[in-house]
Amino acid sequence: MIKIENVTKSYKSSTVALRDANVEISKGEFVFLVGASGSGKSTFIRLLNKEETPDAGRIFVAGKDIGQLSSWKVPYLRRNIGCVFQDFKLLPTKTVFENVAFALEVIGRPRSVIDAQVPAILDLVGLAHKSSNFPNELSGGEQQRVSVARAFVNRPLILLADEPTGNLDPATSVGIMRLLDRINKTGTTVVMATHDRGIVDTMRRRVIELDRGSIVRDQSRGVYE
Amino acid sequence: MKAEYYVRETASNLGRNITITLASVMTVAVSLALVGASLMLRSGVENATRRWQGGIEFVIFMQRDPSPAQVESLRGDLEQSPEVASVRFVDKKEAYEEFKSLFADSPELVDSIDADTLPPSFRVEPVNKEVDAVEALGNTYAAKSGVARVVFASKTIRLIQQLSSRLTVGIFVIAAFLLGAAGLLILNTIRMAMFARRREIEVMKLVGATNWFIRVPFMLEGLMQGLIGAFLAIAALAAFKPFFQKWLPNSRDIPLVSGFQVSSGEMIFIFGTLGVVGILIGAIGAGIAVSRFLDV
Repeated sequence: MIKIENVTKSYKSSTVALRDANVEISKGEFVFLVGASGSGKSTFIRLLNKEETPDAGRIFVAGKDIGQLSSWKVPYLRRNIGCVFQDFKLLPTKTVFENVAFALEVIGRPRSVIDAQVPAILDLVGLAHKSSNFPNELSGGEQQRVSVARAFVNRPLILLADEPTGNLDPATSVGIMRLLDRINKTGTTVVMATHDRGIVDTMRRRVIELDRGSIVRDQSRGVYE
Repeated sequence: MKAEYYVRETASNLGRNITITLASVMTVAVSLALVGASLMLRSGVENATRRWQGGIEFVIFMQRDPSPAQVESLRGDLEQSPEVASVRFVDKKEAYEEFKSLFADSPELVDSIDADTLPPSFRVEPVNKEVDAVEALGNTYAAKSGVARVVFASKTIRLIQQLSSRLTVGIFVIAAFLLGAAGLLILNTIRMAMFARRREIEVMKLVGATNWFIRVPFMLEGLMQGLIGAFLAIAALAAFKPFFQKWLPNSRDIPLVSGFQVSSGEMIFIFGTLGVVGILIGAIGAGIAVSRFLDV
């Protein structure tokens, strides 16, 4: 599903964010990216949906070399990749329903599809009863559920999560992780960057550890360190 | 679905920054109204002084039915004279056609005259354009056989032509600056609209909205501003046209062809020009804003 070959990425300030990385992730895997701040986790994730382009090396997503992708095709790549962030990125002027519907609307899905899929996904994340609330009326955990619903409503092949529990308390985090686990069980590949030792140690999934841009560990059923 | 989305987004963008949107629309309207007014002035003056264009200094009107020999003899004289730079013969038919095109908007006037009424004439451009020399030269033909009368371009006509051409240039320069300002205002309005919507734009990119899907509402916003401005300018000029045509009384003292007539064909051309320029300004302003500040 994802294949990274000899990828190097550095930023202007000559810091190397990723150094000669080689990773292969199969369909349906659940992968944790761990490492200190600035170790390259976010760069790893941003490379996958082509928010960044590598200086060297090749990246394959769903069998396609995304380095060869012309810029007008990038949106179509992103329709196969859902994204969840630490800061949720919900639109404050839209209700929960509208926030999720927006993701379908802007890729041109017809009203009938929106009216069928949005309630279904809100039901999956357990927020059907809050569909007409605004984000500022929800708790942090609920907001992150909305954001997961928005990332998953289009049934992407891959879900990228950049510290999705970074702003949440441990109990709420567990709820989000259960949700991601359920999504993973539907066959969706999940790549999650995290600092949360407790989560990584309980879930026991594949762990890739980064240290100053280099992959120093790649362990199946791993722990935080 | 898409159309509905574009309409909704464009309308809400226009409404969101209503004050600055109005500023751009009004600037477009004022600058286009100036462009339109100067085009009308030019058409009006051109029509009123059509006989006197291209250096024509006097016209020799023949009697209504000169014999071919009279015409040929006068033509020979004019063409051989070293003092005449150029001469053009306007026969009855051509005079009637010219009259018809000038007064196309007043069919009753055209009907009152038939193809036989207007006399043939020679339009003469002398080498020396000093007033005295022109009059002396013109008067030598007044007594030729078949000639009814010689009419000179008066100083008033030269003055009107000069004033109008300078005025037209002046107004165009001012209008060009205003149009530039209008373009920049539109550019900034759209930049602000994009800033107000930066979260939506970020989410749209993340979920895979195409670049054009993101751009179109902003492009339409600029186009609408240009178009509404052009529409206001056109409405103002249409209301102003009757007053404009009464500016110059159709005085017998000045040998004008008519008052300031602007035909409906010319008005349609002017309005079309304004519409196109309005749309262009909107599209250019929005295009620059979208390509420079919308990093998709």
